[in-house]
Amino acid sequence: MKTQQREAASVTRTAAGADGRVRGFRGFLGRSGLLGALILLFAILAIVAPNFLSARNMFNVLRQVSFVGIIACGMTMALIGAEVDLSVGSVVALTSALLGVLCVKLGWPIIPAIVVCLVEATLVGLFAGFIRVRWDIPGLIVTIAMMLSLRGMAFVLTNAFPIPITNDAFGFLGGGYIVGIPFPAIVFLTTMALFGFISTRTVYGRSVYAVGGNSEATRLSGIPVTRVRITIFGTTGLLAAISGVLLTSRLSSGYAGVGVGWEFDTISAVIIGGTSLFGGEGSMFGTLLGVLFIGLLGNGMVLLGVNPYLQDVARGVIILAAVLLSAFQRPKASA
Amino acid sequence: MSGVPILKAEQMRKHYPGVQALDGVDFELWPGEVRALIGKNGAGKSTFVKILSGATHADSGTLAIEGKPSVIRTPHDAFASGIATVYQEMSLVMGLTVAENILLGRWPRRSRLGVQVIDKPGTVEAAGQALEMMGVKLNPREIVRRLSVPERQMVEIAKALAFKPKVLILDEPTSSLPAHEVDALLALVRRLAERGVAVIYVSHRLQELPRVADSLTVFRDGRQVGTVPIREASPERIVQMMIGGEWKKSRAAARQASSRVRLAVRGLERRHHLHGVSFDLHEGEVLGIAGLLGSGRTELLRAIFGLDSLDAGTISVDGKQVSRPTPMRMKALGVGMTPEDRKGQGLVSVLSVAKNLTLSCLDRVSRNSVISLRAERALAGTMVEALSIRTPGLAVQARALSGGNQQKLVIGKWLNSQVKVLLMDEPTRGIDIEAKNQVYELVRSLASRGISVIFVSSEIDEVLEVSDRVLVLNRGSIAADVPSSEVDLEKVLGIAMSTEEGQPKE
Repeated sequence: MKTQQREAASVTRTAAGADGRVRGFRGFLGRSGLLGALILLFAILAIVAPNFLSARNMFNVLRQVSFVGIIACGMTMALIGAEVDLSVGSVVALTSALLGVLCVKLGWPIIPAIVVCLVEATLVGLFAGFIRVRWDIPGLIVTIAMMLSLRGMAFVLTNAFPIPITNDAFGFLGGGYIVGIPFPAIVFLTTMALFGFISTRTVYGRSVYAVGGNSEATRLSGIPVTRVRITIFGTTGLLAAISGVLLTSRLSSGYAGVGVGWEFDTISAVIIGGTSLFGGEGSMFGTLLGVLFIGLLGNGMVLLGVNPYLQDVARGVIILAAVLLSAFQRPKASA
Repeated sequence: MSGVPILKAEQMRKHYPGVQALDGVDFELWPGEVRALIGKNGAGKSTFVKILSGATHADSGTLAIEGKPSVIRTPHDAFASGIATVYQEMSLVMGLTVAENILLGRWPRRSRLGVQVIDKPGTVEAAGQALEMMGVKLNPREIVRRLSVPERQMVEIAKALAFKPKVLILDEPTSSLPAHEVDALLALVRRLAERGVAVIYVSHRLQELPRVADSLTVFRDGRQVGTVPIREASPERIVQMMIGGEWKKSRAAARQASSRVRLAVRGLERRHHLHGVSFDLHEGEVLGIAGLLGSGRTELLRAIFGLDSLDAGTISVDGKQVSRPTPMRMKALGVGMTPEDRKGQGLVSVLSVAKNLTLSCLDRVSRNSVISLRAERALAGTMVEALSIRTPGLAVQARALSGGNQQKLVIGKWLNSQVKVLLMDEPTRGIDIEAKNQVYELVRSLASRGISVIFVSSEIDEVLEVSDRVLVLNRGSIAADVPSSEVDLEKVLGIAMSTEEGQPKE
């Protein structure tokens, strides 16, 4: 009799078929809605906020969003794969601290120091991914543990003091320009383009979508699900470290106190960009819009002199609105 | 026996889209009676049980409990009317104790400093009494997770009994139990009956029915086709009542199978599930696997595809032994599997039709790990046409398709990865008659192209219709391995249900 039950269910599903397309359409609306909101926000700020449109301010916004934006590329992959990495802010901090220790206290040349930082963060990410798949522990829990211990390690390394790094060549990474565009922004946009390609055009990217959409069906299709999951965490680690290097350069110091709350900033940007918290759906373009939206909103509120606490309230409201929108677009589990 | 039946159902009807699941069922049950309820899959017995337990409700028909008309709309109504149901699937909370589970949601309370708290000793005591009444020795303080499956089953029954039901429904209660535990359960059912509880006992195991039931009711095609005292119910008569006169001869054209062995399975052992299963699958052969629920059909396919670990036995593909099968390795050897749970394990429903069709053969549409979207569309488009998959487009999410077309997606995925062996678990479950016939035709045409298929189904008629050869599984062992032209539904059903053959080796 189960057969008939399922038959009934499948008929309902068929009925929801047309609906499925409607939902796709609404998804498109959601994304173009975000684009519209971004343009609207831009227009309003251009009119009401002093100096908003100046090239200097524009490039400042672009540079500011780059640090979080680079990580958001990896976080988008993570959420599409139905994973999450909460340790990214702490990886930024550990990278910064380690860079300070290597360059200043140990007197290493800058390039090997950067390479060591990037390798270390990637390995830490892969390790988190390994723990996650080997013992089937939620990535959320594993990376919360990582978040705590990596930040702690960063403070231990530096005795909680900022380590000034004075090196002009190094300073270029965070503060320099290429044809007038801030270097971090170039890294950000390049990363974005690269991950746009990876997510839509490579076997790995497709596997991430499939794992996030239905890991069991993906495993049964002969795709190495565990390898995909481990790679997801290696990627967020590497990107957080790249962001950490750029930030350290920008601040000219290695400090364990940076990157606090960045995990939530990146996740917010990705969610606002329309990526599903449940996995299997999302896009890099959406994340780009999400990152820019948050950046412009923050910048505008600063220019308008909005109370900083009120700024947080506004951000919270917008994240909630974005998540609600994605919840309304999602079919009911019973369908 | 009092003058009124404890339960009386009249003209129960229930329609599901495409199926008349119940077509005017009359049913009477008396206090202290144990009634066996049997029928083929789809005969309507599960629907009937679901209606009585409030899981679903009938379109029409009346129900009287102790002569009083009653309406059961929810499980709560059922409990309130004195009907308790124990399902095959367990509904226990693993992390709680036996006592907490038995009294789930109805824990005795007491007041502590003005706050209502759960009375733990009271809970343990009440549960202990329930267990003692059943004659079961279990520690009420034990965490359910630590119990064996049969022990959990006892807790499940104790939980139902805690409602002091007048009618107890047991749905395939012995399907997960080893032989000696079955005895204990049957004895328990008899004790309950002596105390006046009426029991509806749904089971496929004919042999155990005379030991527990007073009478037997057979369902067929949504109707009650007869109720007989148990001593008059010989296995032959039961099977005849179950299948009626309408079964058709198998249509599978007897074909000469190739002598080339594609898949060789030897001595597969998996505790409680598979016992020394050996067979060969030849090139271009359709091998049907029939068996009752819990006979090891699904477990066999899962073991071959490397989803469950084996205790012993070997699997060889094209003469080469696979050391430790995993889905990836099996795929590389040209073996694919379409799982029973299409939605949960077969499809990635949020991905598009095209992406689902290339999921297991991404290497075919990519170069250096970069996917060619054009090659992907071409490959997917060809398959959509070849299998006549009805979809508004290749970019539509798979969840928008009907069940039959979703099943074709899962099959098409494996055809795209050019499998030589396809393991199909219940490929026609939940799809309509037209789609079913298309699946049969597809399977036959795959075979004629040299692909070997293992076709598992709970519907024996379709196994006979589509297969060249049939394996009948009974409690994890092969009870028969015969050309499908040499058996009929009656014979296969008899072998599948017999308890003499294929005893688990313990």
